[in-house]
Amino acid sequence: ECGRIRLSDPIIRLGDSVTASCIIGRNCSHLDLESEILWKLESELHPGGRQKRLPDGSQESTITVPHLNYTQAHLSCCLYWGNSLQILDQVELQAGYPPPVPYNLSCFMNLTTNSLICQWEPGPDPYLPTNFTLKSFKNRGKCQTQEEPILDCVPEAGKSHCSIPRKHLQLYQSMGIWVQAENALGTTLSQKLCFDPMDLVKLEPPTLEALNPSPVEAPAQPGCLWLHWEPWKPGLFITQKCELRYQPQLGEASWALVASVPSKTHHHELCGLLPATAYTLQMRCIRSPLPGYWSDWSPSLVLNTTER
Amino acid sequence: PLGPASSLPPSFLLKCLEQVRKIQAEGEVLQERLCAAHKLCHPEELVLLGHSLGISQAPLGSCFSQALELVNCLRQLHSGLFLYQGLLQALAGISPEVAPTLDWLQLDIADFATNVWQQMEDMRVAPPGHPTQGPMPTFTSAFQRRAGGVLVASNLQRFLEPVYRVLRYLAQT
Repeated sequence: ECGRIRLSDPIIRLGDSVTASCIIGRNCSHLDLESEILWKLESELHPGGRQKRLPDGSQESTITVPHLNYTQAHLSCCLYWGNSLQILDQVELQAGYPPPVPYNLSCFMNLTTNSLICQWEPGPDPYLPTNFTLKSFKNRGKCQTQEEPILDCVPEAGKSHCSIPRKHLQLYQSMGIWVQAENALGTTLSQKLCFDPMDLVKLEPPTLEALNPSPVEAPAQPGCLWLHWEPWKPGLFITQKCELRYQPQLGEASWALVASVPSKTHHHELCGLLPATAYTLQMRCIRSPLPGYWSDWSPSLVLNTTER
Repeated sequence: PLGPASSLPPSFLLKCLEQVRKIQAEGEVLQERLCAAHKLCHPEELVLLGHSLGISQAPLGSCFSQALELVNCLRQLHSGLFLYQGLLQALAGISPEVAPTLDWLQLDIADFATNVWQQMEDMRVAPPGHPTQGPMPTFTSAFQRRAGGVLVASNLQRFLEPVYRVLRYLAQT
């Protein structure tokens, strides 16, 4: 074997120094063992390694790169053979940073997929392959003690979200959850959250429909609109409150809000509007009185008030 | 006589009410799927088979509003949920069309049972030691599993109705 490089550490912190030694065996044929061993870092030649003969007759050269500023670089051990520079061995250096602390961890319970979906910010690129894992455990109280670990959730490569399936969840018991980031230079943990999965349920919006009351029930009044909505079916078992917002389609008026629409009846009469005007309406709902997240606003429904 | 209803936290009662509604909705889906996939739509046609398979109904005597004994009611509720967990587990391999619903239902019933058990522990009225499952029916054919599914789902709905009433009563007092 002609050349063998040994490294202090193949992965280092960007800007730190790295030391390498290269040993050229005395049985490397055709070689003049007194040749100077040279080093090449990427394409830059680095003479001046500290070279010495070892007791067994082989030659060893040692080099220290004071500040490695490449995130990836090839370090080659070479010497001149005749007029041509010969590469006898090569290693890959990697440099970067320990993983940054993941932040902005947030989760919500998705009843459509029946899973807990969590997302986070990975932080700046550490230039090294970094694995993120969503770790969690079941717990009775306020997550002070880790009772029953839940299977690690490993996101797809490069993704900063992960989904824990229903079978690993107890919807009405608290669980602790955090993100772990790990690479060759260290491990960091995000802030820990503690919640009941069901308290993070985010409903899908209701569906708004025009309601054409029979003239007997509600004679068409000029400034009024009647609407009906269908709550999101998978969320029917959840008691909710909903809010309605509306604005005239033309002009710059901002949204007006009906804060609490009675949720039992699924229809609502809206009055005090401009006559002969097209209004855009949207509704959203939230689990209540138990905690939850507001749904997105529903698709718009456009209704017209009658002439005076 | 009624124990101190106020000893049950409102959030516990609200969660339980929601869990009952969730299980009821899942149970209806199970019944609909068994009916659609296997034309087994009427539990009353399977009563004889139910007796022979030993599919029992869980007692809830302590939960009826007139003679509500809160601690015994919680214990009967947990025992019933525990029984239904076992019955649903015994139905494993029922059929591909129904299996996912069966899994969700099992998870939701297990969640509810855990919630009730922990509330009993918090009140220091939990029976000593963890409950053990009694003998479960043995289903020897695909038909028996599906018929068993219809019966268990029907029994479960009839079990949950008084449970919902007493929880709502406790939540309102």
